[in-house]
Amino acid sequence: MKRKRIKYFFLFPSIFWVLAFTIFPLVYSLGLTLFRVRLGKPARFVGLANFARILSDYKMWNSLRITLVYVAVTVTLQVILGLLIALLFHQEIKGKSLFRALLILPIFCTPVAVGYLGLTVFYEEGGPINSILMSFFGTKIPWLSNPFWAWVAILLLDIWQWTPFCFLVILAGLQSLPEEIYDAAYLDSSSEWEIFRKITFPMVQPVIVIVLLLRLIESFKIFDVVYSLTGGGPGTSTEVYSLFTYRTGLKFFDFGYASVLGYLLLAMVSVAVNIFFRRIREVYG
Amino acid sequence: MRRGVFWGIVMVFLLAVAVAHADITLTNASGESITFTEEELGTIAASGEKPFEGITITVTVNQGGPKGGISGPLYEWRDAWEQITGAKLNIVEIPYAEHYPKVMTDLMTGTGQYDGFFIGSDWMGELVAGEYIIPIDDYMKDPRFPKWDPDSLPPSIRTLYTWGDKWYGPLNDCDGQILYYRKDILTNPDYRAKFEEQYGYEYNIPPKTWDELYDISEFFNGWDWNNDGEPDSGIVMHLKVGAQGMYHYASLSAPFCILPGEKVDKYHNVYWFDPEDMTPLINSEGHVKALEFQLKLQKTGPDAQVAWSLGEAWDYFLRGKAVFTFSWGDVGSLVQDETRSKIKGKLGCSILPGSYEVYDRSQGKFVKFDTPNVWGNTTGGSWHGVISALSKHPEVVYHLLAFHATNKISLWNVQRGWTGVDPGARFHFLPPYGTASLDDYVANGFNPEDAKEYLKAYYDNFFAPNIAPYLRIPGGNEYWVALDRHLSEAYTGQVSAKEALDRVAKDWEDITNRYGREEQLKVYQESIGYGK
Repeated sequence: MKRKRIKYFFLFPSIFWVLAFTIFPLVYSLGLTLFRVRLGKPARFVGLANFARILSDYKMWNSLRITLVYVAVTVTLQVILGLLIALLFHQEIKGKSLFRALLILPIFCTPVAVGYLGLTVFYEEGGPINSILMSFFGTKIPWLSNPFWAWVAILLLDIWQWTPFCFLVILAGLQSLPEEIYDAAYLDSSSEWEIFRKITFPMVQPVIVIVLLLRLIESFKIFDVVYSLTGGGPGTSTEVYSLFTYRTGLKFFDFGYASVLGYLLLAMVSVAVNIFFRRIREVYG
Repeated sequence: MRRGVFWGIVMVFLLAVAVAHADITLTNASGESITFTEEELGTIAASGEKPFEGITITVTVNQGGPKGGISGPLYEWRDAWEQITGAKLNIVEIPYAEHYPKVMTDLMTGTGQYDGFFIGSDWMGELVAGEYIIPIDDYMKDPRFPKWDPDSLPPSIRTLYTWGDKWYGPLNDCDGQILYYRKDILTNPDYRAKFEEQYGYEYNIPPKTWDELYDISEFFNGWDWNNDGEPDSGIVMHLKVGAQGMYHYASLSAPFCILPGEKVDKYHNVYWFDPEDMTPLINSEGHVKALEFQLKLQKTGPDAQVAWSLGEAWDYFLRGKAVFTFSWGDVGSLVQDETRSKIKGKLGCSILPGSYEVYDRSQGKFVKFDTPNVWGNTTGGSWHGVISALSKHPEVVYHLLAFHATNKISLWNVQRGWTGVDPGARFHFLPPYGTASLDDYVANGFNPEDAKEYLKAYYDNFFAPNIAPYLRIPGGNEYWVALDRHLSEAYTGQVSAKEALDRVAKDWEDITNRYGREEQLKVYQESIGYGK
C-alpha cells in the first residue's frame, strides 16, 4: 500500500511539469486563438476571425514560403554533406580524431552568437570574406544588402553549424555496421560505389531518416541566426515564420493571431513528422 | 566670558548657515567635477539627510553600456546621485529592438518590475493613453528636487515631452535629423568648377533643395575625391531594417508631402494620416515621389548601406568616405572624436534641404513654391525618462531624472558625443540663440567652427517655422515597424516605391482597425493639435 502511494509522490513533479508547462499553455493558447487580445484591455471574442486572417495575410504567406525554402535547402544539404563527411571519416585517415573534434565544434556555439559572428564575417566593406574575394577576384558580394545573398549568408551559417551534427550521428551509425557483411561483399564486388549503394546506404538509412527528422523539426523553428544576422531583412526577404510569429506576439502584442500562427507551425511540423514516421513504419515494420 | 559665549554661538550659527548654503561639488565616473548650488540640486540633496536611503529604483534604457548613447550618462552620474540621495540605482539595459516590448509587457501585465524607463517619444501615445506613466508637473514645482528649465525647450521638443498640458518627462535628449556635409570638399574651387561645367550651375553651400543635394551627391559619388586611393561616395545613410532606417525617409520626405498652412487641418501640416478619418497618407503622391527620390539618392552612396545600422553609416562618414549624411546630433559630436573621425574641423551642418514642389491633396496635384518648402523635424526618439505608474518610489525616480535634466549635467552630456544626448534646449546653443559658451565646447574637444555650424543647424532645425508632425499614437511602434519593413523592401529593390508604400498603407489600415479607428483618430487629433 505504502509503495503504491510513494509512486504518486515520485510521479507528481513530472505530472505537474507537463500540466503546467505543456498542457496549460497549449490549452490557453488555443483559447487565445478565438479572441482579439491586448494586454491590459478586455479580450474580445472574435470566433474564427484570427484563423480567417491567415488567408489574407500576405506577410504570413511570405514568411511561410521563406521558411519552407530554407528548410528544404538546409536540411537537404546538411544531411548530404554530413553523410559525405561521415563516409570520409569512416576511412582510415591520418589525424582523424583531431579533425573530428575540430569539425564538431560549431555545434557547441550559441546560434545567436553565430549570427553575430556572421555580421563580422560577411561585412561588406572590408569584412574577411569580401577582402579575400577582392584580393583574388577584384569583386565583392553584397552579403547582407542583397535579398538573395542575405539568404545565402544565413544558409551558409546554418549549414556550417549543423552539418557536424548530421555527420556525427551518421558516423556513429556507420561505425555500428557489422564488418562481416563488408568482408562478404568485397568477395563479390570490388566496386566501392556498389557496396555503398547496396549495403552501406540501406543499412545506415534509418539513422539518416532520424537525422533528417530532427533537423527538419529544428529548421522549422529557425529564429536566432536570422534575428541576429539580418533581422529578417533586407526588407522582409529573410523574415522566417518564427520571427514573424515572435514579432506578432511579443512585439505587437497581437496574442490571438500569434497563437494561431503558433498552432499552424505545430500542425505543419506534426504533419511532416507523421509522414516520416509512417514511412519508417512502412519500410521497417 | 558671556560675550565670548555669545560670539561663539554667532560663529557656530553663521558656520551652520554657510554649510547649509554651501555649493555642492559632485564628481562623475570620469573624474570630472561639477559644482551645483543648493537651488540647482534641490533641498533633498542639499540637506545631506539622504531621505531615500535604503530605496533601490530600477530604470530601463537602450543597451549601450557605460560609454554608450543614452545609457552612458546614467552610469557616469550614478555614484554621484546615489551619494546625494542615499538611493540605489539599478540600470537595466535592453537592446533597442527589444526595449519597447519589454517595457510594455511590464506595464500591461502590471508586473511593475521597473520604476522608470528611458523611452522613445513615439511610445508616448501608448503610455499616456494606457495611463502607464505619471505626469510630473507637481514634482516640477517642488523645490526639494533638482531644478531644470522647461522654458528653455523649443515648442517642437516640448511637444514630445508633454501630452496635452501635462509634462511626463524632464529634459534629456533632443533628436532631430540635420544635414552634415564636408565643408572642405564642397568649398574646393576645383571641384566647384568641375561641377558647374558638368551640371551647368554653381551649387549652394549647403544645398537648398534635395534636388540640388542629389546633383552634388551624384557628382561626388564613385571617385577618389579625398585622395585616399579608393573611390568615395556622395551620401551615406543607415537603411538596415530594424535599425532605425525609416527615420531617414521620415525626415527626407516631409518637404515633398506636407503642405504648410496656418493651422492643422485636413490638408495642411499633416503627414501620417488624414486627421478626419485616419486614412493613411503614406501612399499619397507626395510620399511616392519622396521615396522615388530617396531610391535615386541611395544610388549615390555605398551599396552596403541598405544593411548598415547607425554605427556603420556614421563611421563611413567619420572616416571621410562620404560628402553628405543626414542624421542625429550624435554625428556632430562624434566628428570631434579624433580616434574615430578624420574630419574634425571640416564639418558643415544645416537644416535639411527643402523642395520647390509639394503635393497638395486638396487640389490633387503638385504645387510649386517660389522658395523651398523646408521643414524642421524631431525625427527620432528624443530619449527621455518617464516614471512608471506602478513604481512605489516615483519621487525617487523623478529626482534621478530631474538631476540629469539640470542645466549643468545636460550641457555636460551634450558636449560629449558618446552620451547620445543631443542639443535642443536654449542653454545648449551659442549666443545670440542661447547661453552656452563656445569656450566650453572647445574645452571639451570641439573644433570651434564645427561647434558653431553644428549648434546653429540644430537651432535652425528645432526653432524652424514648420516642424514635421511626429507620430505618437497607440501602436506607434507597430506603425513605424511596418514602415521600416516595407521601405527596406524598396531600398533593396524587391518592390517599387509605390508598391512599398501601398503595403505600408495596407498594414497601417490593419493596425488602425485592430486598435479601433475611433479611438486612434481621437488620440491622433490630440497628438498633432488638429484644428489648432
